[in-house]
Formats: sequence, C-alpha cells, structure tokens
Amino acid sequence: MGRASSKEDVGALFRSLRSAYAATTLNLKIIDLYVGFAIFTALIQVVYMVMVGSFPFNSFLSGVLSCVGTAVLAVCLRIQVNKENKEFKDLPPERAFADFVLCNLVLHLVMINFLG
Amino acid sequence: MGKFWVIFVASILILLPFLCNSFSPDTPTDRRVLVLLDDFAIKSSHSSYFNSLKSRGFDLDFKLADDPKIALQRYGQYLYDALILFCPSIERFGGSIDVAAIIDFVDSGHDLVIAADVNASDLIREVATECGVDFDEDPSAMVIDHTGYSVSETEGDHTLIASDDFIKSDVILGSNKITAPVLFQGIGHSLNPVNSLVLKVLSASPSAYSANPKSKLSTPPSLTGSAISLVSVVQARNNARILISGSLSMFSNRFFRSGVQKAGSTTKHEKSGNEQFLTELSKWVFHERGHLKAVNVKHHKVGETNEPALYRINDELVYSVEVYEWSGSSWEPYVADDVQVQFYMMSPYVLKTLSNDKKGLYSASFKVPDVYGVFQFKVEYQKLGYTSLSLAKQIPVRPYRHNEYERFIPTAYPYYGAAFSTMAGFFIFSFVHLYNK
Repeated sequence: MGRASSKEDVGALFRSLRSAYAATTLNLKIIDLYVGFAIFTALIQVVYMVMVGSFPFNSFLSGVLSCVGTAVLAVCLRIQVNKENKEFKDLPPERAFADFVLCNLVLHLVMINFLG
Repeated sequence: MGKFWVIFVASILILLPFLCNSFSPDTPTDRRVLVLLDDFAIKSSHSSYFNSLKSRGFDLDFKLADDPKIALQRYGQYLYDALILFCPSIERFGGSIDVAAIIDFVDSGHDLVIAADVNASDLIREVATECGVDFDEDPSAMVIDHTGYSVSETEGDHTLIASDDFIKSDVILGSNKITAPVLFQGIGHSLNPVNSLVLKVLSASPSAYSANPKSKLSTPPSLTGSAISLVSVVQARNNARILISGSLSMFSNRFFRSGVQKAGSTTKHEKSGNEQFLTELSKWVFHERGHLKAVNVKHHKVGETNEPALYRINDELVYSVEVYEWSGSSWEPYVADDVQVQFYMMSPYVLKTLSNDKKGLYSASFKVPDVYGVFQFKVEYQKLGYTSLSLAKQIPVRPYRHNEYERFIPTAYPYYGAAFSTMAGFFIFSFVHLYNK
C-alpha cells in the first residue's frame, strides 16, 4: 500500500517537473543545455582519468576545471537573467552577460596556461 | 783533447739514469733483491732456487744477516726492491735493519719472502706476526703427521711430511697442475680467520699437529689439522706481496731433487713438487703474474666521442677502461668476465658487468638513473691472487631543463580536446544567447 503510493508519488513528481520545465523560456533552456554539455565533458574526463591514471595531473585538472568553471559561470548567468528572480530585478541582463563573458575569458586563459 | 774527454764523460753521465733497471710502476717486477742468510752454506745448499731466480733476471745480493753494513735504504731511497729472509735463527739484524725497517719496506710496496725453521728466533717470529701470521709459540715444535709423512729410510719421526693440499688458484700456483706432493720439514703457523688479506697456499692434512718430536706430549697440541698452514702468502692493500714459509729446507737442493712417496699412497714420484711449487710461487710474489693495471678511463654519451663535464638524467652513456696484466716482461691484455662498474652516490644505483674485447678494453653502456646529484664511476675489483683495482671518477648529473620535457603528452590529448571544446562551446553559446529573441 505504501510502496504503490510512493511509486505513484515519484511518477507524479516527474510529471509535474516536466510540465513546469516545459514552461520555461527558450533562453533559459539554452543556458541549461550549455551547462549540461560542460558537466558531461567534465564527467568524460573523470572517467578517462580513472581508466588511464592521473599522469599529467595538471592537464587533467585544467580540463576538468575549465568545464566545471564554465558551468558555474553559466549557472550564475541563468540566475541573473531569469526575469522571475526577484533578487536580480534591477540588474540589466546585458550587464550579467558581460560579466559572464569576462569571467569566462579569464578562466580559459588561466586554464590554457595550466594545460601544460 | 781535454775538452773532448769532458764532453765524452758528460754524455756518458747523462745516459746513466737510463741504464738503471729498477722497480717502477711501468715495470713492476722487482729487480734488485737482498738475500739475508744465516751463513753462506745456505747459498750453495739452496743454489737451485737462487739460480732459478737469477735466470729470470733478478740481481741477488747475498749478505749475512748480522753483517753490520747491510741497509735497506740510504738517504731516503730504497736500495733493493725485494727482501728474502733465509735466516731463521738470527737474533738481531746487523746494520740498520730491524723489524720496523722491514715493515716500512713492505708498507712502501716492496715484496718479502720469509722462511722460518725449527728453533726460529723471536725476531723472525715477530716479523711474521707483523705480517699477519702466528707461528707456534713452542720454540722446538715441528709439524708432525703420522699419516701424511713422506716415506723414506732415514727420517723416522714423521716430521718430514708430504703435502698436496694446495690453494686453488691458477694465478698463484701457475696453470700447470702440481702432481707430486711437496716435501716440508719445519714449523707450522696459523692464520687469523678475520684477516682477509692472508691466504693459505699449502696447508697441512687433517691428521697433522704441531708438537716437539723429541718429548712426550703432556697436553693436546694447540695447532692441529688443516688449520695449520705450512706456506702462506699475504697481499697487502698496497699490493705488496709476502711469502711466509715454515721450512727453510723445503727450498734446498736436497728437497728439490729427492723423490717423494706419501705414506698411504702407492705412487712414488721421481721428483718432488717443491721446485715447481716454489718457482711458480716466487713468480707470483715478485709480481710476474697477477699484477694488474687499469688505464684510460673514458666515458661519453652513446653516439659521441668527447667526454662531457656532466650528464643529464636518463642519458645513455658508455664507460670504458683498459686493464692490463704484467707478464714479467710486458703488459698483456687482461681477460676476465667479472669486472664490474658501479654508478655510485652513497650506494650503487647501477652495477654493470663490463664486457671485454679480448684486447684489454672493457666497456659497458647503461642509462643514467632518474636521480640527480654528484655520482662516481667506481670500479672495485678484488680477485684472489690479483692486485686490487680501485678506480673512482666523479661526474655530476643534472635534471631536465625546462624546455627538455615532453611538449605534447599523448595521454593528455583528451584533456586538451576538452579544454578547447569548452572554449568553442562557450563561443557558440554566447552568440546564440545574444541573438536569441
């Protein structure tokens, strides 16, 4: 009785998540796609490191950190650009995007240097 | 006319140094030998042995041991290259020779032959003890062997023994096997087992013991069995060689010529092994065999010929050295397969056996280890009967320079790819984000 209801709960949960997500704007979905791509690249690198060993450790760190860093910056952009977010109501979205671009530039510069 | 004579004499005098034919590192065989005797009868009774030495080119100088004019050195220069002491009963040397002078003589690299006998004096015993060998303390003891004695009609107390217990070394005893036993009549000595420089060349059989043959034994003898050494050699760390024998009569013409039959065996040998044994042994003692020199140490990187001042880690290098053996008249190439080189810094990082080309050139090639510091190429060669070789050459080893590392590491290609793909993704995303309505 409890199990059947929890299964239904999980199903209901997923369905509500999907319907709510479908309502988000295209803009935010593109940002989510970008974040997903970055995390996926990072995961591939971690799996590769586990298989092969961590020989050029600096290269591994550089690769993973560039992916994770850019994902974090994209999440910040999403928060600042989202019109439903009361906290950043007064922040122009162009300003948020400029911050995003600048931080990414610095990040990738450092990571290329560390790549060895 | 006067001027002519002056020039003639001066030119002769200039050439005189080249006429000296003496011991030098280029010709290590001794030339001038001082022979100290108890009395000159020994010179004729042991003439075979002395003639064998003279025929090989030695200058023997016979003197009585208490002659007041004998001296080993004058004005700081040694007059002789080797010393033979055939004076077992001498109480005090004449002239300026004493135990300290003899030990200094050996310490400066010269060779020594000592023969003791029954009733050897304390002086001879002291010289032998300084060389590392202990004679039996009882002054009238002799080596007696009731199962290894030499069968003869006259000697009934079994002090004349026939021994064939030789050391196994072709360098010391020559390559021809000594088939007949060696006759020996005299005192025995023992060696300290801790001493690694002294070797037993002729040992007594397990049934021998050292005691006074004329008196009855009251206590068991202290020196028994194979621990008794009849003839020993010492090779000092400066490569001076010393021969110590407990019997002067084994060098005599009588023993050289007599036949020998060991008790318990049926073969009767026409000639004892004394002459062959002592002649071969004297060749070794006077550096006609087993004297090595190592020259021309060279090292370089594989593929180059010049010797660099320092190496880098993980370099391939080649080390070579030439080793020659003195044959009595010239330097011959030394052929062996156990010379090793170490690449040493506090402990050997690399130990490699050198391969030789049969002409005396030994070489080996190896990779410098992955450790930087100041290393040494060390060759430490100590083989039974040969002079010891001890070479060391210092060489520093440096780590990689910053531009000697691998540039693009193949294992890291996925990481390079990930970083660049992230950059490309960011670039595309920023365009899409900007121009999205």
